[in-house]
Amino acid sequence: MKKALFLLLSLSLVATSLFAAGGQEQKEEGPIELEFWTHEDPNRTAIEERYIQEFEAENPGITVKRVTHSSTKIQELVLTAFAANQGPDIFNMSIEDEYAYIANGRVAAVDARAVGYKSIDELKNAYIPKVLDPVVMDGKLYGLPLELTNWSIYINKRVFRDAGLDPETDYPRTWEEMADISEKIIIRDGDIITRRGFDFRYPYYLVSMVPMVEQLGGELISKDGKTAIVGEEAWISFLDYMKAWGPNGRNLGSPTYKNARKLFNYDNNDIAMALTGLYQQGRIKADNEDFYNSGEWMVVPFPQFEDAKQKAAACYYGHYYMVNGQTSERRQQAAWKFIGYMLSHGEEYLTTVNIIQPTKKLMESDTFKNMPYSDVFRDDMENGHIVYYGENSAKMQELIKQAVESVMLSGVSSEKAYATLKAEAQELLDEE
Amino acid sequence: MSRQKKSSLKHHQDRWGMLFVLPALLFFSLFNFYPIFNALFTSLFRKKVLSLKPPMFIGLENYTYLLTSADFWNSIRATAVFTLGTFVPLLIVSLLLAVFISQVKRGRKFLQLAYYSPAVLSSVVAAAIWLLIFDPRGLANQWVNAILMTPGVDHNWFSNSCMVQFATMLVYFWKYVGYFIIIFIAGIASIPVTLYEAARIDGSGNWQSFWKITLPLLRPTVVLVSIMSMLQCLKTFSTQYLFTQSGAPQGPINVITMNIYNTGIRDHRIGRASAMSIILFVIMLFFTWLQFKTTKSDEVTY
Amino acid sequence: MKQSIPIQRIIIWIFLLGALVFIMAPMIFMISASFMPASDIVKMPYRWIPRGIHSENFVKAVAGNDGTYIFIRNLLNSLIVASVVSFTTVLISSLTGYSLSKFSYRGRDLLFLMIMATMMIPFEAIMIPLYMVVTKLGLQNSYQGLILPFLVNAFGVFMMRQYLITFPDEFIDAARVDGMSEFAIYRSIILPNTGPAIATLAILAFRSQWDNLLWPLLVAQTEQMKTIPLYIVKFTAEMHTDEGAMMAVNLLASIPMFVLFFALSKYFVSGAAVYSSRKG
Repeated sequence: MKKALFLLLSLSLVATSLFAAGGQEQKEEGPIELEFWTHEDPNRTAIEERYIQEFEAENPGITVKRVTHSSTKIQELVLTAFAANQGPDIFNMSIEDEYAYIANGRVAAVDARAVGYKSIDELKNAYIPKVLDPVVMDGKLYGLPLELTNWSIYINKRVFRDAGLDPETDYPRTWEEMADISEKIIIRDGDIITRRGFDFRYPYYLVSMVPMVEQLGGELISKDGKTAIVGEEAWISFLDYMKAWGPNGRNLGSPTYKNARKLFNYDNNDIAMALTGLYQQGRIKADNEDFYNSGEWMVVPFPQFEDAKQKAAACYYGHYYMVNGQTSERRQQAAWKFIGYMLSHGEEYLTTVNIIQPTKKLMESDTFKNMPYSDVFRDDMENGHIVYYGENSAKMQELIKQAVESVMLSGVSSEKAYATLKAEAQELLDEE
Repeated sequence: MSRQKKSSLKHHQDRWGMLFVLPALLFFSLFNFYPIFNALFTSLFRKKVLSLKPPMFIGLENYTYLLTSADFWNSIRATAVFTLGTFVPLLIVSLLLAVFISQVKRGRKFLQLAYYSPAVLSSVVAAAIWLLIFDPRGLANQWVNAILMTPGVDHNWFSNSCMVQFATMLVYFWKYVGYFIIIFIAGIASIPVTLYEAARIDGSGNWQSFWKITLPLLRPTVVLVSIMSMLQCLKTFSTQYLFTQSGAPQGPINVITMNIYNTGIRDHRIGRASAMSIILFVIMLFFTWLQFKTTKSDEVTY
Repeated sequence: MKQSIPIQRIIIWIFLLGALVFIMAPMIFMISASFMPASDIVKMPYRWIPRGIHSENFVKAVAGNDGTYIFIRNLLNSLIVASVVSFTTVLISSLTGYSLSKFSYRGRDLLFLMIMATMMIPFEAIMIPLYMVVTKLGLQNSYQGLILPFLVNAFGVFMMRQYLITFPDEFIDAARVDGMSEFAIYRSIILPNTGPAIATLAILAFRSQWDNLLWPLLVAQTEQMKTIPLYIVKFTAEMHTDEGAMMAVNLLASIPMFVLFFALSKYFVSGAAVYSSRKG
């Protein structure tokens, strides 16, 4: 018995000592193969594969392996890889997920020269204000935006007219109107909705719902960063609004209906309005070119509450290219050089994939100005701020989700949901 | 054969036995024991996945935190509800159907295969089918409304907190009922026919034979199957995970494995997630011990 | 008594057919939906018979969103991984089960208990340390990496041990008297006599790899190394409003398992007997 136990333990210990020592071995010489992990996006794949070929031709000795993962799974893949000290050289995710990599010193600071600027200041100056804030820590810059996006309301004019509304004049300006107009558009079979007016972006509570609270004078986190869920009245009236929207209220939709952003493109008389970004135009074109060319869609600003205390549009959020900080400087430099090469094609990214790389040059370019409704997105962006990001942002989003679902679906009172949310969010904040 | 020689021969044989177990020993050490010890070790630290700082040793703090956390107790509740709500009906219905199938003469083979077929599908496929069925406009509402004659009612399969728990159970039940039916049919087939004939001569009806013969003789199978399926239910993950990814509320179906996953991967708290795994491990160990105990006592009475 | 028999029969058949409808309806739904355009699928009431065959679904399913036909490669990967795993599981489980049931060295029972205990750790809990082992061996994104952690499993060892416990010792002893080596005994006496158990185990192992999602997700990094469940997940994420194409992928991905199931249904069924027929 004891002998066997001893053997087992020693085998496990050997395994432990073999695998406990972390760190990646560095090869200082020879060619470099950069591993670049990004999320699935067919339009981007086409142009980036071309950039890779061009870059490799210009830079002998560097090859790039581009690996795509589904956008819902990439977080755990990058995380597991970094946990094993085997992170890819280059990766991008949304900033809420990436922030922890900066906070834990896992990523390398931007090499301005490799990217193609004379200095960090010149680089920072090339971007519009505020957009690099999330990737700055202790004065150092750790990422460059692959895309920065905010959301406004897309409208299907045909559905509006079908419901006896004039899209040009009757579109919703306030959330109250949003509910009333949805009521007019909606078609139900009993309780079951077969045509919806508007669909919230349910999983994205931080981007799309926190601004609604802010309009009412509430905050997610206080300015000093110490208190969570500020403004009882604002949060409760927001929760009341969602309660009235849900199946136990006016029954205008719920998180269990299929989300609208793709349904919208098909123009099947399923949905009149969707909350989504400029990139949607590329997707409409890809899914349903006839609809795209028909001029039967339009974009209007993010609604405000009637008695809003302040103007707030949907938050903007972004994907930033980052470079693994646990590799040799030589690799890091090569990685930044490649990122710099890709990012030098801002206009092509905008025209073929409809994503915005927020440099001053691009935002002031005719290409951007000529994009349909780009002014709506630009104005909304000015009224918005970057989405809440931090090491705990995913959990924070989960807590808001639970609060909204409990009032919408389980019939919990807004006051009770607020109290639960406040207590749990505060505990989460204090733990940091 | 002298005693000496016999024992040395035995020694020689047992060395072969040890040699035969070596590949498995190596394998389990590297891919099972090491990760488990790693999890046990990690559970004593405040450790974040990405942190490069050495993790802080906090003793049992992760465990005391969990045992006072409402969120964790909710997961215990969700897991217990799912486990009981799935494996009890699974056991009863599959036993009943197995008995029924054994009674019929025609179509027996076809029924077995048909009942078994969902178990052949992978869980991703099963989830995709049921996601469409549970759509507000999907078959679940249409059928229930047709049966209850309540046109137009949305039964909120995903949005109502009771219904979503029921929905996860239904998927699991659907997928595995055929598997258990087949196990029970095999068990029933191994009962000697002479016992039934004797009972019939004594004037027992089918129903009485079931209680007097089938059930008592199937007891070992029932115990084994129920413990095995219970362990499977305690480890359930994919259905709940895919449902929450499709808009179902997390609270009602936040089973322990999903909590482990979210705590470790989404929230990066690997120490706490490990502690949760160890607690789940202990719970499951308890049930296995129970299995060994009940089957041992069976041997005495059998 | 005689009157009650037809009534009993009717009740039995009502139950059996009710269960049949419940179990088969989702399967038939998958098949019928895979021949329909998306707009016909989520529509009330559902029409079970497709209006003609919408074969585009299958073209999309196989060609993929990007037209690379990676589906075929992924299908092949799944077949390779599942076949190899089912082979090694049978081999190692039977060897280990033999050792744990028919020899009596010190620590045998402890070892058996420890192997059993591994069944109780959820995979989600050990995936990070496991990933570290595999990356340290440099096996990420390779067939070895996909296969290695599943070479054998505790359930297989358990099953083979339980099966062999009832195997008569006399055969083994007789062979020893004949001077057969221990390994020869395993190969020519134990293995040939565990047919149903081996068939069941092979099928179970194949099935569980065919189903495996989480591990390939972590280890298979390039499209070329991905397996079928990953393909389905990816395809669903991209095409989640095209239910017809989604169901077509699901149907195609299930076909190999169904072929196996119908070809070997004897073992699916008789194998279960192994499970139940062991004595208390």
